[in-house]
Amino acid sequence: MAIKTTKDTSVALGFLSPFMLFFGVFLIFPIFYSFYLSFFGTTTDYSLANLNFVGLDNYRTILKDIQFWWSLFVTFMYAAISIPLGITVSMALALLLDNKLFGKSFFRSAFFLPNVLDMLVVGVIWTLIYAPEHGIVARLWSWAGGGGEHFFNAPGILGHPSTALLAVIIAMTLKGAGFGMVLLLAALQNIPGDVYEAADIDGANEWQKFWLITLPLLRPIIGFMVITGLIGSLNAFTEIYAMTAGGPQLALGDETVGSTSVAGYYLFKQFNAGNYGYAAAISYMLLIITLVITGVQQKIAGKKNNDGGKRK
Amino acid sequence: MSPKSIARTVLFLILMAIMIVMVFGISGQVIKYGVMVMAAVSSGEGVSGTENAASIMSKTNEFMASLSIIITALVSIFVVKKYAGSNERVRWEFLRRMFLYEILMAGVILVLFPFFWMLCTAFKPAGQELLFAKPVGQEQALDNSAEQDQASLHGNPFDIIPESPTFDNFRRVLKIDSKSKSMGVIDPVENKKNFGTYFLNSLLVSTTAAFLVTFFSAMAAYVFSKKPLPFKKNIFIFLLATMMIPGMMFMVPQFFMICKMGLFGTKWAMFLPHLASVFGVFMLKQFMDTIPDSLLEAAQIDGASEWQVFRVVIIPLSIPIILTLFLLTFLSNWSNFLWQLIVTDFENPLSITLPVGLALFRGQYVSELGLIMSASCFSIVPVAVLFLFAQRYFIEGMTQGAVKE
Repeated sequence: MAIKTTKDTSVALGFLSPFMLFFGVFLIFPIFYSFYLSFFGTTTDYSLANLNFVGLDNYRTILKDIQFWWSLFVTFMYAAISIPLGITVSMALALLLDNKLFGKSFFRSAFFLPNVLDMLVVGVIWTLIYAPEHGIVARLWSWAGGGGEHFFNAPGILGHPSTALLAVIIAMTLKGAGFGMVLLLAALQNIPGDVYEAADIDGANEWQKFWLITLPLLRPIIGFMVITGLIGSLNAFTEIYAMTAGGPQLALGDETVGSTSVAGYYLFKQFNAGNYGYAAAISYMLLIITLVITGVQQKIAGKKNNDGGKRK
Repeated sequence: MSPKSIARTVLFLILMAIMIVMVFGISGQVIKYGVMVMAAVSSGEGVSGTENAASIMSKTNEFMASLSIIITALVSIFVVKKYAGSNERVRWEFLRRMFLYEILMAGVILVLFPFFWMLCTAFKPAGQELLFAKPVGQEQALDNSAEQDQASLHGNPFDIIPESPTFDNFRRVLKIDSKSKSMGVIDPVENKKNFGTYFLNSLLVSTTAAFLVTFFSAMAAYVFSKKPLPFKKNIFIFLLATMMIPGMMFMVPQFFMICKMGLFGTKWAMFLPHLASVFGVFMLKQFMDTIPDSLLEAAQIDGASEWQVFRVVIIPLSIPIILTLFLLTFLSNWSNFLWQLIVTDFENPLSITLPVGLALFRGQYVSELGLIMSASCFSIVPVAVLFLFAQRYFIEGMTQGAVKE
């Protein structure tokens, strides 16, 4: 018996080894390597051999780097606007589709389709839609009687610090709404009909049914959407690269900061400038923030599960 | 007639009017788009080709209009008949449904409009991308650009299908137009920087990655689902925990590793770091857990080797989920812009993939929207077609993670 177990284990290791090889080399090792790199400085000629050891300087710089903390703030704003907006739009679509409809799968597919399309291309298209003078939005406004000189023409939607981030979020919401819709729709259809019948007997109206029955039952899905939304905001890069390149610039005290420069984009900019060590240090800061967020989320989720247990 | 039924009839007429506008608009645009593409493809290169396509368009104008009027009339008759034939009691329900359809249709238009605009602009001749469609005769009368601009301001902004389409944009991004062909003799490397090459590169990178990821993930998932291994559970939980690390974290170290391996600017660099997919293992393991152990035991009793059990029993039974993972991995590599951007050697056209090529291209031809849009088509149209045929796999796969939470 003992012999068979060893054999089974070696077979298991054989099957596991290709995956584990790539997992170890490209996902585990980089975590430590990144930490090592974060103690090195800048190269001006982009050659990797000339990196010089700077100790803890990168981390000291980060603490004083207004651009970095601003980019975190922008990321936070991005999440704070895009997550509720995305959930609301997805919820509206899911509630509309949660009826007996002919051609339901057509609508489901049509709303989901933009999710699979390339982010860069979507960003480029929306940049052109928002473009001053010639973009669809500016044209529509002129056509509808806005004359030649109006906000959509002069700085443009993406050209003004107060609207640029919002414009990116709207474009991304229209791209991503179908995803949340499918999740919520599946959950809505899993709610048994007799729950609503019981509410009908108690004399609840549609509004009460939504707030008191539907929404609480959808809480796990909404929680999932919040978490993926947060991770998505921390990883946001392509949409910013395609649409605003971090701009338009904004004066903040002595510094000028990019009004849409999210953390992911700031990291890329440092990387692109050859500040490899600094970029590695920034990514460590982002890791810590992610760990804090997931820790908090686990705590909340755990607490809720306990409540559920008590109620039973 | 009671006031209630009058109100109902008025509401029906309003909804009917909205519906007629929608059906007429959508069917008209779709038919016109089809004719426009055919006209553009069948006509030759350059100005004469554009004129040729424009004349085809204007000849078929009446035919297109009457076709969409017929469609609208048929749909209207159908709806009116249904409404008239329906029971008095269900008529409010009927109106509610009609309203629902119209709202949903408006949503679809809003969500898909950007892509339709892209598909239209790709066929517009150089310098006219920003003009909305106008009758051909009028266009020639306005040679002054300021006047032209003024006229376009008053054109209907919704009428975005070009009246004089051209296929030149596609010829130019593929570098098969006559000008690029003659340039290609002088500079073959520069001529290789076209979207045909980029497309093939992306296809090769994404397919290889998808194939290897599904293969490795299936083997690993088989172990986690069916094989004894010390600390199996702990290892699996550890794998899942690494999914929480934001992807940005790996950019710097993976870039250094790829450079040290001497792979910078090669196709290997594009996918090698993404071959270990924890999500894939998780997804496949969840599925393999539902395969009964008795099937494996039966195969072993029949004398199947370990490898045969995996190949003959596990793989065939997991085909739907394997296909899903394949498509999702293909997709994520197809549009993995950031990583492909940083490991691309721009001097070597054989390593440029579609998203990177598009970013490069956009910097070169800032004002030529028609070119940028036709280049974008290479990335979007194949994926959209793939989605149409395999949407079930895409939707189920992408929403898997949430359902298991």
